[in-house]
Amino acid sequence: MIVPYHLLQASGSVIFAAQEVDILSFNTSMEHLSTWKYPVKATETPSELAADAEASATVEAPPTPEGPPTKRRRTENDEKEAQAGDAGTPNSTNGQKKGRFHNKPQPVNLSNEKPFINCLLATANGSHVIAATGSDKTIWVFEHDGSGNLKQLSQRAMPKRPCSLTLTTDQKTILSADKFGDVYALPLLPSAEPTLPPTVQSLPSRSATPASAPIPFKPQANDKTVHTKRNLKALENQKISMELSLKAAAEKSAEESQPAFEHTLLLGHVSMLTAITVAPGIGATGEKREWIITADRDEHVRVSRGIPQAYFIEGFCLGHEDFVSRLCVVPGREELLVSGGGDDDVFLWRWKEKQLLGRANILEEIKNTIEPELTKVAVSRLKGLSLASGETVVAVICEKIPAVVLFTLVEDTLKHTATYSLKEQGVPLDVELLPNDNLLVSIDTTEGKPDAAAPFLVLTRNGPDSWDQKPVVDVPAGETELNGEEMQKLLYTTESLRKMSDFD
Amino acid sequence: MAAKKNKKQKREDYRAAMKQDDVLTMPRKKFYRQRAHANPFSDHQLVYPPHPDQMDWSTLYPAYVAQEESQPEATPSSTTEDLSAPVKVKKLTQDVEVADIGCGFGGLLIALAPVMPQTLVLGLEIRVSVTQFVEDRIKVLRRQNEESKAYQNVSVLRANTMKFLPNFFRQGQLSKIFICFPDPHFKARKHKQRIVSTTLNSEYAYAVRPGGVVYTITDVPDLHGWMVQHFEAHPMFERVGVEEQEGDPCVEIMRNATEEGKKVERNKGEKFVALFRRLEDPVF
Ligand SMILES: C[S@@+](CC[C@H](N)C(=O)[O-])C[C@H]1O[C@@H](n2cnc3c(N)ncnc32)[C@H](O)[C@@H]1O
Repeated sequence: MIVPYHLLQASGSVIFAAQEVDILSFNTSMEHLSTWKYPVKATETPSELAADAEASATVEAPPTPEGPPTKRRRTENDEKEAQAGDAGTPNSTNGQKKGRFHNKPQPVNLSNEKPFINCLLATANGSHVIAATGSDKTIWVFEHDGSGNLKQLSQRAMPKRPCSLTLTTDQKTILSADKFGDVYALPLLPSAEPTLPPTVQSLPSRSATPASAPIPFKPQANDKTVHTKRNLKALENQKISMELSLKAAAEKSAEESQPAFEHTLLLGHVSMLTAITVAPGIGATGEKREWIITADRDEHVRVSRGIPQAYFIEGFCLGHEDFVSRLCVVPGREELLVSGGGDDDVFLWRWKEKQLLGRANILEEIKNTIEPELTKVAVSRLKGLSLASGETVVAVICEKIPAVVLFTLVEDTLKHTATYSLKEQGVPLDVELLPNDNLLVSIDTTEGKPDAAAPFLVLTRNGPDSWDQKPVVDVPAGETELNGEEMQKLLYTTESLRKMSDFD
Repeated sequence: MAAKKNKKQKREDYRAAMKQDDVLTMPRKKFYRQRAHANPFSDHQLVYPPHPDQMDWSTLYPAYVAQEESQPEATPSSTTEDLSAPVKVKKLTQDVEVADIGCGFGGLLIALAPVMPQTLVLGLEIRVSVTQFVEDRIKVLRRQNEESKAYQNVSVLRANTMKFLPNFFRQGQLSKIFICFPDPHFKARKHKQRIVSTTLNSEYAYAVRPGGVVYTITDVPDLHGWMVQHFEAHPMFERVGVEEQEGDPCVEIMRNATEEGKKVERNKGEKFVALFRRLEDPVF
């Protein structure tokens, strides 16, 4: 089976679509413009792989200008083995047993190791495109010439797998939220000079400590001001603790091989992060500020201040009772946030006040029109679309559900406008806005009727809540064939965020 | 096998007996022991409210339940009928203000209870049977002190604080957090399981009000160094000076009252104390 187009990103009059590890560009009539291909090492053959299970876990890195100097990258399996660590590993995705060393060569589950684009975004002016690939944990930055051609500028392997990427409002800094729960800031364009404001403080990470030790603590009393024996003892201890703290810093920085490129730890959850977004607003002094909003597998939506105060938590938008997988700041109404995940509802928040404005029941909408027997949904896409008509639409896709559910923002509520059934076509993977308020939907045709197979559909609105559909057939088919199981694992990862453990 | 089952059965019988309403003897630790470490990253079968407003504290602090004076109904505003489903919970006359994170067998709680009788103190512990022990311990103490009403101000809750602190406490709700003899997790690979880290400290800064204090103590020098380093690297905390530290009565209690502290004492080990003050919110 050929991998469908699973991520869409419009940028001006160009549409980017990710297909496995490649990025294709199209014009707004969905004519193919250009393709960027992931640089894969050509010599890997399955037999070689089987011969050495350890080595097969290797994704040979193409030359990395600013990546770590190691040839062998840690891949997902290593990570899972090392795992005390994962901030919360979904239960079902990992069939592998723990254990660092395999005595015998073992058949390798290739799909576990395949790099796969899991994030795709573009700068506001379209000058750059950013992607993240899973398993090799790499963030890619491309220069975009405005006509769909991408030139790779950088490739940075992160300490942990990025789960969601966003940009600061000035478009100069990438924020990467990872599987381990940490958020890193990276300059969009790595350069000799740091582009992050010097005031940005890198927090020592849970697993690593920055090379530069913090300013050592000075005992706040000296031998003279301390009178009692006990105080003297305590003072001694404070001096010891200063040394210990420096020792801890030194030891850790020696131990950890940190990526060589500039990256700054901003904040972290002790939970797998699933989504990150940046919302603009006005600060206490009346100046323009921004906030970083992060969502995790443990139902939290956290609002932190933007750089350089990302260490300060403003609060939490709490109310979800299952994992949160997607966030979107409402375009044109940036004080509003929509969040969705494993709950029946998507939530509408006034994020700065942490106030829940309303909930919209997705499950009911889908049961009404698509699948009456459905018992749960897992939101896999949530996109706020600013239509030329002036309307603001939130498009929701739930994993493996053949429908796109549309809500319109009416004042401070989400009003359900349409549940667009794709039962005949297949399962939608992503949705994006085209000119003339048309919607582009990418489809997993293997989940639908193969005869009607078209990788894209264009939905044209012909009434308040009625849409015409036009399949886009003439597009390049991907080259990689995957079996059904592999494909499922790569494309459908949201439902696996749901907790099902019942142990202590 | 049979012996093991027997032991398990004994435990269960014992703990069931402790549930009786008239037990006045203190619970015995040996029936509540549990594997030393619980992985803070895995999904335990935890119970926690989606939002602190939905937390029912009434069963934990029954002496502090507010008299129901016809609580104003959640105003049914137009279309948004079941907003975060305002579960009606009984309100307390005051909030929990002191938290003992990883309280273990509860020694600190018991010692703090009479020292801050006007304050609600909560122990948070991830291990189930250890939590149960503390629960039974407090139950018996309350029963033994029915007249004086002592120990009504302390309670315990099973929780993974590394993940769910904000589910229990609102911004600035706490004046003190105690972190006593936390698990050291010696191996570098396990450092991320440590209960103090700069990113987690942001959550402590969120729960503790400006001027509030985080108390730490450990007998492991490297862990002490780690905690100091990670708190000092956090812009929301500053280390409390020696004199203030030694003048704080809680420090003495922290040194001597916890079970781990006593163990260290018996082994003549050294104890390292560090206090960190939550600074004022920076302007943004
Ligand atoms: C070494 S004991 C110290 C107990 C007690 N504070 C004392 O001093 O005697 C550390 C305790 O922290 C608990 N703990 C570890 N991680 C925790 C977490 N994430 N949330 C709550 N408790 C935790 C452990 O179960 C253990 O009981």
